[in-house]
Amino acid sequence: MAEESVLNDDFIRQLMNVGEVDLLVGLPTHNNAETVGRVIQAIQAGILKCFPRERTAILNVDGGSKDETPDVVMAASINDLRRTHNAYALRTLPSISTRYAGSPSSETSLHTLLAASDLLRAKACVVISPESINIEPEWVGSLLLPVYRGNVDFVAPVYRRTRFEGMLVSNVVYPMIRALYGQKIREPYPADFGFSGRFGNEFLAQHSWHNESGQFGTELEMVLSAVGGNRRIGQTFLGLKSRSEQHPADLVAAMRQTVGVLLASMEVKFPDWTATHDVTAPPTNGPEYEVTLEPVRVNKKRLKQMFAAGVSELAPVLQSILTPPTLKSLKQIADLDGEAFRYPAELWAKTVYEFAASHHKSVMSRDHIVQALVPLYRGRALTFLVENRTASAEQVEANVEALCHEFERLKPYLVELWNGGK
Amino acid sequence: MPARQDSPWYKSAVIYQVHVRAFYDSNGDGIGDFQGLAQKLDYLKDLGVDAIWLMPFFPSPLRDDGYDISDYTSVHPSYGNLEDVKKFLTAAHERQIRVIVEMVLNHTSDQHPWFQESRSSQDNPRRDWYVWSETDNRYKGTRIIFLDAEMSNWAWDPISKSYYWHRFFSHQPDLNYDNPTVREQMWNVMRFWLDLGVDGFRLDAVPYLVEREGTSCENLPETHDIIKDLRKKLDRDYPGRLLLAEANQWPADLRPYFGDGDEFHMAFHFPLMPRMFMALKLEDRKPITEILQQTPEIPASCQWALFLRNHDELTLEMVTDIERDYMYDSYALDKAMRINLGIRRRLAPLLDNDRRRIELMNGMLMSLPGTPIIYYGDEIGMGDNVKLGDRNGVRTPMQWSGGWNGGFSAADPESLYVPLLLNPVYGFQAVNVLSQKRSEHSLLSWMQRIIQVRRSTPVFGTGSIDFLYPANYRVLAYVRELRNETILVVNNLSSSAQAVELDLSKYKGRIPIEMFGKNLFPRIGSSPYLLTLGPYQFFWFRLRRI
Amino acid sequence: MREMIMAELSQAMQDMARSGAHLLPRLIVMLIIVFIGWVVAYVVKWILRSILVLVKFDKVSENAGASQLLNQAALPTPTELVSRFVFWVAWLGFILLGVNFLGIGGLQQHISKFFLFLPRLFVALFIVFFGLLLASFLSRAALLAAVNKNLGSPRLLSMAIRIITIIFVFSMVFEELGLAQETMLVAFGIAFGAAMLGFAIAFGLGGRDMARRFLEKRFGHEKGSEKEEEPSPL
Repeated sequence: MAEESVLNDDFIRQLMNVGEVDLLVGLPTHNNAETVGRVIQAIQAGILKCFPRERTAILNVDGGSKDETPDVVMAASINDLRRTHNAYALRTLPSISTRYAGSPSSETSLHTLLAASDLLRAKACVVISPESINIEPEWVGSLLLPVYRGNVDFVAPVYRRTRFEGMLVSNVVYPMIRALYGQKIREPYPADFGFSGRFGNEFLAQHSWHNESGQFGTELEMVLSAVGGNRRIGQTFLGLKSRSEQHPADLVAAMRQTVGVLLASMEVKFPDWTATHDVTAPPTNGPEYEVTLEPVRVNKKRLKQMFAAGVSELAPVLQSILTPPTLKSLKQIADLDGEAFRYPAELWAKTVYEFAASHHKSVMSRDHIVQALVPLYRGRALTFLVENRTASAEQVEANVEALCHEFERLKPYLVELWNGGK
Repeated sequence: MPARQDSPWYKSAVIYQVHVRAFYDSNGDGIGDFQGLAQKLDYLKDLGVDAIWLMPFFPSPLRDDGYDISDYTSVHPSYGNLEDVKKFLTAAHERQIRVIVEMVLNHTSDQHPWFQESRSSQDNPRRDWYVWSETDNRYKGTRIIFLDAEMSNWAWDPISKSYYWHRFFSHQPDLNYDNPTVREQMWNVMRFWLDLGVDGFRLDAVPYLVEREGTSCENLPETHDIIKDLRKKLDRDYPGRLLLAEANQWPADLRPYFGDGDEFHMAFHFPLMPRMFMALKLEDRKPITEILQQTPEIPASCQWALFLRNHDELTLEMVTDIERDYMYDSYALDKAMRINLGIRRRLAPLLDNDRRRIELMNGMLMSLPGTPIIYYGDEIGMGDNVKLGDRNGVRTPMQWSGGWNGGFSAADPESLYVPLLLNPVYGFQAVNVLSQKRSEHSLLSWMQRIIQVRRSTPVFGTGSIDFLYPANYRVLAYVRELRNETILVVNNLSSSAQAVELDLSKYKGRIPIEMFGKNLFPRIGSSPYLLTLGPYQFFWFRLRRI
Repeated sequence: MREMIMAELSQAMQDMARSGAHLLPRLIVMLIIVFIGWVVAYVVKWILRSILVLVKFDKVSENAGASQLLNQAALPTPTELVSRFVFWVAWLGFILLGVNFLGIGGLQQHISKFFLFLPRLFVALFIVFFGLLLASFLSRAALLAAVNKNLGSPRLLSMAIRIITIIFVFSMVFEELGLAQETMLVAFGIAFGAAMLGFAIAFGLGGRDMARRFLEKRFGHEKGSEKEEEPSPL
């Protein structure tokens, strides 16, 4: 079976020594020695505060760090070996670490974590990003309590973000998932999230694991599995999201990990998303969204230029993907200058849906289809920036809501395209 | 009785704690007595114990189960008289069983003639024998020990119109140890019993002997001076007799009570006991290893007294708040089981009458460094009665048989000092010595066996201890060594089977021989030694070099 | 004289009849072979089509972009195409076998040459087919990459990649078919090398700055991005 290959003998021995746990904290790392110490301290403080009696273990899945990340993790173990008495720790809180072969891949680290969770019979798991330097001890409780003491299967985070962070999520992934699956999950590509052992085992068994190097986006697949499979989903407000150094700033890679995964999953989940009509908000602990209004300098000219260049240079490619009316509209707005430029929400929704349908029909290599969306997204991002430049926090979110409504409204259009009409 | 040449007798002894009142009634009045106790010495001999510790049997109004003494040099009439005591001591010594008696130094009953005199007037010669005060403001901040019963350490005496100091119940006024007469009088009391033939004293409530303003009134240097003095006299006039301290303190605060080998011979290791129960529930050895890591070295001639339960509540004074809450929720969910800062339940009910857990706890008791003390009735797995007031629930009559009054007394059941246990699980018909003696596999037979194995080697009593810290934290493993004898003890604290790899490289080449069955186990090599243990199972291995 | 002519005629008729009698059975056999060949070829086509449908060959070629090409060329689906091609080749083979059986001298040599040539033809067609696909794929990939990295003249780059690939593919085809091998090889080498040199010069001169920035971004993490501060998309 596939699991065996991600668990080497030494790791199995470590798991044997940990034994059954109630809670498992997953910490996927790669060269995070600078930040991981602080994160572990916050995790331990959170556990000792919210779950002092539960059997817990911290599992570090390392993608081949060149610095001492795994050593820092293992040294943080709370046990009787260190002879420093922690008056607040009722029981041993082991920190174990394993390294998987190949280069960093969130698929492999998640696979390892799920396999370990299965073997340790964890009732609830939480994944914490080692870069979450803004982490508070309360995060652990917020992510685990709904799963462990409630009956939630998956807990997605809600962050306080600067308003122009996560535009790809706000403009594509969030509206799509919301329209397709009827769930308002604000952070569908989370760095920190919680899930039940039961759901983890199901996902472990159902997902086809490739375990190749450099595979990312599996967190999104988990979210999709949760929404598409009628699991109980919850959200919880955490706090300020730390900027990730390792999450790709490269837009193409980001697009692949999000839109690529999303479109691919639509194939399998066709019965689910065509059957969903209502949109519900999962129960949320705390505010549903918070935005800080820090100013951000973005080179708008460049965005416009790349959008226009994309529309013109990629015309032959876009011809195969988009419908003629849509392509014509895009060419028209590409000619607009400066302040006049606007990529309206309706057009954007249509664009994305047509991409989805073309992806389904494999009009060309699917990866190429995903790449072709990138310049168009830049145009949309520009419009988002301009629209929200002086907006208040509520207005920003209202604009996102409006975009989502467009996606929901045009869903029948997607279904029609999907089924063959053009 | 001659002391062993190589090491003091108390270091290799197994002590049995018993209350005369609860053991056996010879005269049919419903209350156990010394004659009865003497009749049961053969039972104790068979069990394999080396010493008996008797709880207070002095005359007393019995408002604190005999710890409120009204006459130090006599016997409560319900239990017999001094003659009976003498005969009992003789019989015990004939069977090589030593006898330790309780000595309550800190306070007397308010019915004691000394107090009656002391309170009668401010000019009474015995006035200064107790601690009096015009106001109740002195020694502010001193903690109250019997929290459920007392609101203050001062009590108002209407007769002499002043306050007297009492660390325990208000009917137990504290003696004033700043008064040399008091000290001399108490030594005389001890001499009385030593002359009669007792082999040692358990000194009750020693930390509280002396009070000083601005302190916690516990463990003061003056207290230690008093003890040193007592010990000097004891060694001088009665060598080989034992002083055992009852001081419920953190290990670091207990250490001074051993002095430089010139104070107590033994002291109870109070903090370890609740942690053993905690480790069992947590299925994690951390509480045990950490408290033993914090336990200081003691002089070579001294010894810790280890116990699982006793006549008092399972005390949770020496644990953190988190730990206390955990213990309450794990072992005493019913609030009726809680008293003061502890749990008033016996061993078997605490462990859900689980034979494996009872064996495991006793296994640790017998193999950790110290002298084990068995509370009467725990060797057959007796139960408790939480509905009886105070801590009387763990002091019910010994269950000898399934017959009349459980074989304890010929009296009417209604006239027993407290009722027998009757329920189908722990009642005397289910749990009694007679039926357990008939089976090789009963708890009683098992207890006899383990005591036998423990006695087969001096390592447990006097050897060193070296903890192994296997990565599997559910397993508590340690090595006891004395000269060239080495014993490996492995305990599985978990309710499920465990595999553990032990680093025994230091003992490479030796052959482990399991001490109960005497079977060989694979020889120790250079790679980690793998052992698998069933739920709550433990192993004792003699590591033989052949 | 008349008798002579009649005798010759009858002799000629007899010869013809003899030849015919000699040839006719072979002809009949040939027709039988051809007929059997048709049946076999049809069965093979049917089996192959079933297999291709089972392995979803159409789907695969869709992913490779072949279906699009064929669609645009108004050709039938890949499965159908392959099945029909195999049918014709198989039947042709049987026909030639039958003709061979006729025993017409020089034809035999040519026929065997044809059969020897067949595998190479297959391979060559195979190379062309997938080579064109590859060219299309690579050129599109280059186009997308250039557009997304904001490089200049993405179309030019895309076309260049396509041309190079096609040249490469056809060189392989010619080599496989054994047509003017060395000539093609040398010609290809020259063309390819020249193109590469040209691009190198062009990029080197024109893309100095870009190259520097690219390298800095790749290997100079400490500096941080010199580009504008782009908020994280995720």
